[in-house]
Amino acid sequence: MRIKKNRGIEKKQARWGFLFVMPAMLFFSLFNFYPILNAFHTSFYNRKVLSRAKPSFVGLDNYVRLFDVTRAANPLSFYNSLKATIVFTLGTFIPLLVLSLILAVLISNLSSNRAKKFLQISYYTPAVLSSVVAASIWMIIFDPRGLGNQWLNALMRTPGVDRKWLVDPVMEQVSTMVIYFWKYIGYFVILFITGLASIPPTIYEAATIDGANKSQTFWRITLPLLKPTVVLVSVMAMLQCLKTFSTQYMLYTNGAPRAPINVITFNIYITGIQDQYLSRASAMSVVLFILMMLLTLLQFKTTKSENVDY
Amino acid sequence: MKKTLVVLLLTAMLLPLSLFAAGTKEAAVDESKPVTVNYWTHEDPARTKLETELIEQFMKENPNITVVRTTNPSSKQIEVVQTAFAAKQGPDMFNLPIEDQYAYISNGLVAPVDYQAAGYRNEQDLLDKYVDGVLDTVTVDGEVYGLPLELTNWAIYVNKRVFSSAGLDAERDYPKTWEQMADVSEKLVIRDGDILVRRGFDFRYPYYLEFFIPMVEQLGGDLLSADGSKAIIGDDAWIGALTFLQQWGPLGRNLGSPTYKNARSLFNQDNNDIAMTHSGLYQEARIKSDNPEFYESMEWMVIPFPVFENAVRNVAACYYGHFFMVNADSDPAVQKAAWKLAGFMLSHGEDYLTRGGSIIQPTKALFASDTLKNMPYSQVFIDDMARAHMIYYGENSASIQKHIRQAIESVMLSGVSPEKALATLRAAVQEIIDEQ
Repeated sequence: MRIKKNRGIEKKQARWGFLFVMPAMLFFSLFNFYPILNAFHTSFYNRKVLSRAKPSFVGLDNYVRLFDVTRAANPLSFYNSLKATIVFTLGTFIPLLVLSLILAVLISNLSSNRAKKFLQISYYTPAVLSSVVAASIWMIIFDPRGLGNQWLNALMRTPGVDRKWLVDPVMEQVSTMVIYFWKYIGYFVILFITGLASIPPTIYEAATIDGANKSQTFWRITLPLLKPTVVLVSVMAMLQCLKTFSTQYMLYTNGAPRAPINVITFNIYITGIQDQYLSRASAMSVVLFILMMLLTLLQFKTTKSENVDY
Repeated sequence: MKKTLVVLLLTAMLLPLSLFAAGTKEAAVDESKPVTVNYWTHEDPARTKLETELIEQFMKENPNITVVRTTNPSSKQIEVVQTAFAAKQGPDMFNLPIEDQYAYISNGLVAPVDYQAAGYRNEQDLLDKYVDGVLDTVTVDGEVYGLPLELTNWAIYVNKRVFSSAGLDAERDYPKTWEQMADVSEKLVIRDGDILVRRGFDFRYPYYLEFFIPMVEQLGGDLLSADGSKAIIGDDAWIGALTFLQQWGPLGRNLGSPTYKNARSLFNQDNNDIAMTHSGLYQEARIKSDNPEFYESMEWMVIPFPVFENAVRNVAACYYGHFFMVNADSDPAVQKAAWKLAGFMLSHGEDYLTRGGSIIQPTKALFASDTLKNMPYSQVFIDDMARAHMIYYGENSASIQKHIRQAIESVMLSGVSPEKALATLRAAVQEIIDEQ
């Protein structure tokens, strides 16, 4: 009888819960699920943006074209985009994860609250800027006559050396990574600080009484207890990096070569919007979606741990 | 009797249909009903000022027509219009460079010109008023789909002060060939190590259809074969032009690069950082507006588009047009109003030239006018136009331009050999035209 009553309450609660979640679900379905399904559907046709002709069914042609090895030599091919995306993601995601954690620990350990707040705001400020504004600031820095060359040459005592920030393919990739890192580091620092704040101080006190030094405290207590936050941040940072677009767009429109920074999202934009091949762009976005999903699942699997209860 | 009855019955059935059809047509173009014309164009402060005045006057004369003029930055206008059309929310009237606009004609998205509404008696009257051949670009199957807002070609603007500071006399030493352009630029540049503090000349990246294709043509090459079926004609010419740009860039003589600030916008400031730049006649209005003192000093001049020393063809920079086009999906009354507006605005060609951003509307009247002839250096542009041709336009011209950009940047900035870059370019452009 009691079990029946409990189930009734659960059902009632579930119904309310469902009602509360409904608006978000509807929003998500309309603006996320529908475009995903639509892109998937479009990828099997030969639709062009401005064409009025009824798109014809082409099966897997768009996917075959993407992975056609004879096109691999073309610097603007999808293969090159995959490579550019992987290089950018690894070059940005790993430093973002590691350095945001280190900075968060350093800020959390500061004794002055004012200094803590100041640093939090300072690191977070670039995240508030739009990517276009951020890239514009960095365009001024990376101009051959800009601050990037001036500072580095003054520091390294190498007057007149052009670091070719936006010219050399490797430097161009580094430039996009620097811009992205600068923009998002603060956001992930804040997430880590929140995660650190949720670890009860009593655990640290117990560790101190037991004679643990700072390094032991970090490796044996902070890091294991921060694991859920680390997983969250790593997944978010990786997805953000895979979705990077505006930095590359801004650099390209300011004269930087496209091939080294032709990440998948940028290739989707050029193919779908500028070249008008909507179906090809849809196929690329489906591949990117699958790639993101697989990498996220892999991350969850490799970092799976039991929930931490204090 | 039976036959007569059938004929009568059929006539009775068809008569209302024909009346209905006529009635529909009549109702669709009811010119007195209130309509709103959404007109999207690219930003140009001088033109905005003039068109705001003209639109006010137009609305006074046509109280049932409301015009909403929206501007976008030039670079954004192309995408904004395309996205709007893809969503079936395109503007009623718009303009784009023809290389981006032609796809709207080939995809049936724009309506043919309504001659009467635009102020012409008929098609012939319209053709008679424009410079020969200009409207061929927008004529398909005998229908004209656009009216030219501007026709632009680029020559070379020269800052005489920069020449003097390098011990050169601009009037005498200005470059006539591309080889001279490189040599003169070498004398004009100021470097801090590898960094260019002052450039002699720099190209107008990335508008390669405008200036690079003519350079290839000068050496005997072509973008496409005469029948349009084969891409990249004349390998030696292409390699010659690509090698010239390779030598121009940071891996060669280091005279300029796409990553330096746009030369055209620096030119007006007269800050001793650029001596020569590509631009159209409209640049004169911009110099006047940005730096009146420099404009009045006449320490600037315009010279013709150079040719290579071993050129086999004397070709100047391609000219390109912005055309007013009208959305085929707009209500017929709105279409009529839009053509009326286009015709009205284009009847003020001299205003556009003198106070609307110095843009040339290619009417015979304007070309014969003293107003154009009296504009400083206008003859240079007119003469260059005579040895130029319309830019390559087609459904995928913008896409082809991107592949040309890739080829040029790979040789200029990434150290790829011109031969390899050309092979990649050929494959990409051939695929585009095959699909087209």
